[in-house]
Amino acid sequence: MNYETVIGIEIHCELKTKTKMFSSAPVSVNSQPNTCVNEIDLGHPGTLPSLNKEAVRLSVMACHALNCEIDPLIKFDRKNYYYSDLPKGFQITQQFHPIGRNGYIDIPTDNGIKHIRINRLHMEEDTAKQYHSGDETWIDFNRAGTPLVEIVSEADIRSAHEAMIYVEKLRNILVYLGVTDGKMEEGSLRCDINISLREVGTEEFGVKTEIKNLNSISNIEKAIQAEVIRQTELLESNQPIEQATRRYDDVQKTTILMRKKEGSVDYKYFPEPNITPVLMDPVWLKSIIDNLPELPDHREKRYMDAGLNAYDAGQLIQNKALSDFFDELIKETSYVKLAANWCLSDILANFSTKQLHEKAYSLKIKEMGNMINALGKQEISSKQAKDIFVELLKGHDYHATVKALNIEQVSDQSVLVQMVEDILNENEQSIIDYHNGKDRALGFLMGQIMKKSKGQANPVITNQLLLEGLMKRKP
Amino acid sequence: MKEMDVKGFKALALQCRFELSDEEAQDIKNEFDVLISQMRLLDKIDTENVEPMVYPFEEPTSFLREDVVENVLPIKEVLKNAPKEKNGFFVTQKVVG
Amino acid sequence: MDIKTLIQSTSVEKRVSDAVNKAHAVQDKLNAMVSFIEPSEQLKTLESKSKDCPFYGVPIVLKDLVNMKDTRTTGSSGILDNYISPYDATITKKLKDAGAIIIGKSSCDTFGMGGTNMTAWTGPVANPYDLSRMSGGSSGGSAVLVATGVVPMAIGTDTGDSIRKPASFNHIVGFKPTYGRISRYGVIPYASSLDHVGVFTGNVKDAALSLEVLAGRDDHDMTSSYLPVEKYSDLCIGDLKGKRIGIIQNVIDSIHNPETLNQFKELCQKLESRGAVISSIRLNEDLMHAFLPTYYIIANAEATANHSNLDSLRFGVLKEGQTMDESMILSRTAGFGKLLKKRFVIGSYALFTENQEEVFRKAQKVRRLIVEDVKRVLDNVDVIMAPASGQGAPKFDDASADQLSKEYLIAENYMALANFSGYPSITVPMGMVDGLPVGVNLTAYAHHDAKLLDIAYGIEKTTGIFNVIKEVTQ
Ligand SMILES: [Mg+2]
Ligand SMILES: [Zn+2]
Repeated sequence: MNYETVIGIEIHCELKTKTKMFSSAPVSVNSQPNTCVNEIDLGHPGTLPSLNKEAVRLSVMACHALNCEIDPLIKFDRKNYYYSDLPKGFQITQQFHPIGRNGYIDIPTDNGIKHIRINRLHMEEDTAKQYHSGDETWIDFNRAGTPLVEIVSEADIRSAHEAMIYVEKLRNILVYLGVTDGKMEEGSLRCDINISLREVGTEEFGVKTEIKNLNSISNIEKAIQAEVIRQTELLESNQPIEQATRRYDDVQKTTILMRKKEGSVDYKYFPEPNITPVLMDPVWLKSIIDNLPELPDHREKRYMDAGLNAYDAGQLIQNKALSDFFDELIKETSYVKLAANWCLSDILANFSTKQLHEKAYSLKIKEMGNMINALGKQEISSKQAKDIFVELLKGHDYHATVKALNIEQVSDQSVLVQMVEDILNENEQSIIDYHNGKDRALGFLMGQIMKKSKGQANPVITNQLLLEGLMKRKP
Repeated sequence: MKEMDVKGFKALALQCRFELSDEEAQDIKNEFDVLISQMRLLDKIDTENVEPMVYPFEEPTSFLREDVVENVLPIKEVLKNAPKEKNGFFVTQKVVG
Repeated sequence: MDIKTLIQSTSVEKRVSDAVNKAHAVQDKLNAMVSFIEPSEQLKTLESKSKDCPFYGVPIVLKDLVNMKDTRTTGSSGILDNYISPYDATITKKLKDAGAIIIGKSSCDTFGMGGTNMTAWTGPVANPYDLSRMSGGSSGGSAVLVATGVVPMAIGTDTGDSIRKPASFNHIVGFKPTYGRISRYGVIPYASSLDHVGVFTGNVKDAALSLEVLAGRDDHDMTSSYLPVEKYSDLCIGDLKGKRIGIIQNVIDSIHNPETLNQFKELCQKLESRGAVISSIRLNEDLMHAFLPTYYIIANAEATANHSNLDSLRFGVLKEGQTMDESMILSRTAGFGKLLKKRFVIGSYALFTENQEEVFRKAQKVRRLIVEDVKRVLDNVDVIMAPASGQGAPKFDDASADQLSKEYLIAENYMALANFSGYPSITVPMGMVDGLPVGVNLTAYAHHDAKLLDIAYGIEKTTGIFNVIKEVTQ
């Protein structure tokens, strides 16, 4: 039988704020356990929530970029359950009035652009982090109360590949907005995948399973592929699919049962009485939207308009830090294609994303621009550029480097003509070889001239003069 | 409205993470019956088209807290009340992910 | 003695040590205190303070729900028996700033959930006017400590009538201002949308003075009001001329005790003779019958969630089991009294998704109708008024109340109208009924705290009952 895969994705994304969603304790970045908390994050008796303005601002940005309708009246609700990582015994979330609704993003697929609808985007608070050691669980409340947005897609996704593209694109948008650092490995972006199969042509959804804790984009694809195989086999052999939460095991390459859904838990949602609804100031709201940073789609188009091919443009925008670097670089040079090549090779090879992001390098972008301009004007060779680049990485200026390396280009016609004549005189055999169609001879002769000039002959002019010289000596 | 008996109250208590003795459960059952009678007083009241009132004052506010670190508890204070702790962590019996 | 006179006529050392000594002396009989706080550190801090502070060196007590850094705050519960607050409630800070010396935490019904003060983990609190009778609750400890003259002011909280009822039973003033007027940050909750912080004092002006200290916007409490704090004590003139007082006829009709009714009638006549315009108002009777169940459902639903933090993982008394879940269950089972469990179960029942519409949301809708009705009657009068209770404090072993009777449903529970609405409400002494104090309760429109206090002051001047101290030791 033929099955169609039906996928919906829930993403929890940590917001890049300084303080917690409801307390003024700092958001932890690899801090010692329980050092980024106050009485509110620990759920101490008598504490009350106080809503973080920046978290709201970032959520508004995310809503707008994901084409959601924004509810200007912010309301929160309690989701009640007992667990050791949930200090208050309830999570403050937006069950009834999510800040964003009815959004979408468009993703590229093999069959063209596909519209993936976003059901809701809501704000909530993160739980504590637990570590299991022997027969004990150790709890660090640093993460408790960290601002989150949860973004819930409709079940519009039809393949592992689409799922991967969706998450990748969504993450990229959020990273471009500066809403999150989007690090899946570190848990700042977490995906839960709901997946079911149905016979092609049928409308009704099959029984779904939920795959939790996927920590990389590639694991999303792998986990879905594995789950599709597992569910297909069950259906083919007429076995029921059980509604359950599963996780992906990277070693066994399959999904593993975490817990069955024994009748759904009643979270007894009700409105949070300690947060009076907050009406966002329309002027503030508008200013957030008006000042939205450039989104990846727009940037990609801009790159292509500037002359990059789709591949290079796509590669650049995948990495926001690199793309930001590229944007700085093309302020210094109009050789856009050259700049892109250098970014996608040498810059990427020399700097980590973190370094790029934090601008933790001595390289001066202006000087690199000078180098690319010289290269573009063919004042220097690619080989020379590589040598110069090594010096630029140390923070040296372009012109000083050129001088220090003794890379003065010889562009003087008379000098070059003499050099070409000398080399031709010394290499009779190569002239014959050239005219017999051996292209290698030209390269050899160029090499000889470069050697003689210690690499300083202007390659373009030299090449031209060499060709003229050879024509003159046609036997 | 869900019917409740003594057993049901015991189960409900467990959902709230405490146990009821037989006597306590019976006691709740009795009080519950009084409450149900009192609830009938509510039935008399027409609440059609009435919105639930969640807050005493419903005018929305515009206050949002500035994102500035202000109050962090020293680790000594954090752990002061901890029934069990190790190496700066709170500790409980192993829970499954 | 009022607070100003106390400050002027005694030394800090004397008034604080008198209070501490007396608190110890009455403890045997009243059982009002849960924890004593050694005041020496506060006294040292006081040295750097201006003598003009409104509570300069004035001994006070906090209800055992109010956090004060490095002191024990149990909520009169078992599960928090060992809890040491790591932080100050906003009001604690304000009181310290005003120069108050906090000498202890007073007993209450566990987490404020009760009206008898008999559910306190440390046992019932006795009424100083008759030690075989209850203090009333939930703020019973605070009430009797003011009634016996231990302290001139004590903090209470009021979710249904938990300040105003015990004030009535103890011949003192009990005042809860408008919701949001005093920050709730750091005060262990009962039901967040109904909880109010307030005070017990010997006289109305002291209540007004206390509000000046306690009120004000607090960013830690998002429900806190931005309205400016007024000079409430200066605004207490007490001139009743032209003041419109609406008598809640439904309450009068449901009270059986003729002595209570008589005294109330006499009071009304006196007020009229001082120029007050007395009229009779009527609230919707069906709604009034629904006060108690409405209150019970909303309060307990919110409470069960509010106290889900009590899992003995980060604080609290731990009873260890084999699993995390079992430890949670054992700790909560051991640390919660029977009444608390009952209320949590019923609150949780009201929140079941399948019940919410019929129970919780129904109650919230009725709440709106109640508030609209209260607002309607307050459109034509300055305050509404009725006896704060049908008679004096019940005996400890009194289980006679018919929980479906009109007297019980209306006369004994109508004061929750000020919690549903968030309106300011105050109880002042009316007189003695069968040898026991009974107070009269007034409620004004939202944020009319100053007006309410002014009228209450006028009534106090009329009755002449203020700063009454009931001694329980020889
Ligand atoms: Mg979810
Ligand atoms: Zn969530």
